[in-house]
Amino acid sequence: MIDAWYPVGLISGLTREGRETLLMEQPITVRAGKTGKPEVVTADGRSLPIVERFGHVWTSLGTPEKDLFTIPEADHPERVLVDVGVVRVKCSPLRAVENFLDIAHFPFVHTDILGAEPHTEVEKYDVKIREEEDEVWATKVKFFQPQAAKSAEEGITTEYMYRVPSPTSSVLYKTCPPRPGEWDVICLFVQPLTETLCDVWPWMALFDEDTSMTDLIHFQQLIFLQDRSILENQIPARLPLDPGMETPTRADLTSIAYRRWLKQHGYTYGAELVAQ
Amino acid sequence: MRLNASSPWIPLALSGDIPNGTVIPATLCSKPIAIWRSQSGQVNANGNRCPHRGMRLSHGFVRGETLSCIYHGWRFGQDGACQHIPAHPDVVPPASINCGPLQVAEQDGVIWVAEDQVESQPPRLDGLKPLRSLVFCAEPEAILTASGGTEVDLGVEATLAGTRICLLLQGQAPAETLCLVLVDQATSPKACAEISRALEGIRRRAEGETEKRGAA
Repeated sequence: MIDAWYPVGLISGLTREGRETLLMEQPITVRAGKTGKPEVVTADGRSLPIVERFGHVWTSLGTPEKDLFTIPEADHPERVLVDVGVVRVKCSPLRAVENFLDIAHFPFVHTDILGAEPHTEVEKYDVKIREEEDEVWATKVKFFQPQAAKSAEEGITTEYMYRVPSPTSSVLYKTCPPRPGEWDVICLFVQPLTETLCDVWPWMALFDEDTSMTDLIHFQQLIFLQDRSILENQIPARLPLDPGMETPTRADLTSIAYRRWLKQHGYTYGAELVAQ
Repeated sequence: MRLNASSPWIPLALSGDIPNGTVIPATLCSKPIAIWRSQSGQVNANGNRCPHRGMRLSHGFVRGETLSCIYHGWRFGQDGACQHIPAHPDVVPPASINCGPLQVAEQDGVIWVAEDQVESQPPRLDGLKPLRSLVFCAEPEAILTASGGTEVDLGVEATLAGTRICLLLQGQAPAETLCLVLVDQATSPKACAEISRALEGIRRRAEGETEKRGAA
């Protein structure tokens, strides 16, 4: 996992003095260099590799074998790009991603916004580990939502696609009410501070000309703070990768594939392994 | 010491701490549990972990005679068995899915929980009525000393504001003790208020003592 790319700050939030933070327990400083370009340095002065993408500074403690993933859909010039900011959560970075991949909790955690009883059923959807891209994908996910987005006025059945392109990042493509045929892009970028503490950087690329930036940020923060109340109260704190401790159902196929993919790659930072 | 008596029944809450339709977290022998009261008034206890995704069930909600997990709404009955999975409303959950039911008894205004199946009833608390429950950041021994009382099964008997009181003590974590306070049945409301205030003095002394020991 050391060779993966991780988000460590907003490009728009860089300062010369920099921000001290942690990446997998290593103290690092994220700052704007003399030319304004971002720099990430470790406590012992080592400069780490950098990618600037999706409004964030990304780095790695190791030697990434491949470039950071891309989201071609997000490049559309008419999209509003929303730097939501950061939320610190006392949970495993992997639990934060897994929760993002889950729709069955909408009626209970995001009540009357992303879901509502009695519309609790999760219909069959497709999940695949795409070997070529080495990513987890869930498609044809459908769910009834009372208020799917800030721009949605009444309940609709929303279609989703979920994508896990790196161990602590997830991209969600979701029906876009004002633009049928296009997808809104909502991302969860997770910075692992320790195995049981993370900084979560939500980011969005939307078609929404009417809602103010403040309202878009508030909407996403509201949703994620509801998730935080769950994430900080799961036992054990680390994500169990071996079967036995938890009971998945058909609605959890994405999570099952995510756990399997993590295990295949030995992405075990923030994971609980019973049988080692 | 007799603070940990031989009874398999552990006093973990006063009846008044759990109104109908509510759930609270508790600790049974260092293990996190959830205690809840159904709409009809029946008290139940089980492990504090939903078998689905490990969410604390004490964050859940009670509807009718069932407890639901706040994460995905999995619904558990009084026997601990999962009755309903909202994501799959037409599926009957397998009997193997349960949240670890525990034995529970409500007697003399106190809720008692036992880890294993027991035949006996909890000990009687004759002539006493429940007053309040509170948590001390102190060891049970420090509370015994601060109260100036004598040790009895599961706690301390003392005299406070001229009235006989009983403190049922349960260590929950290092330097953290749950204290259920009972008073003589004949105690007037005014005397109850006085005792409640005087308890704060005991708490300060016990916590001060524990802090000193911690520092030493």
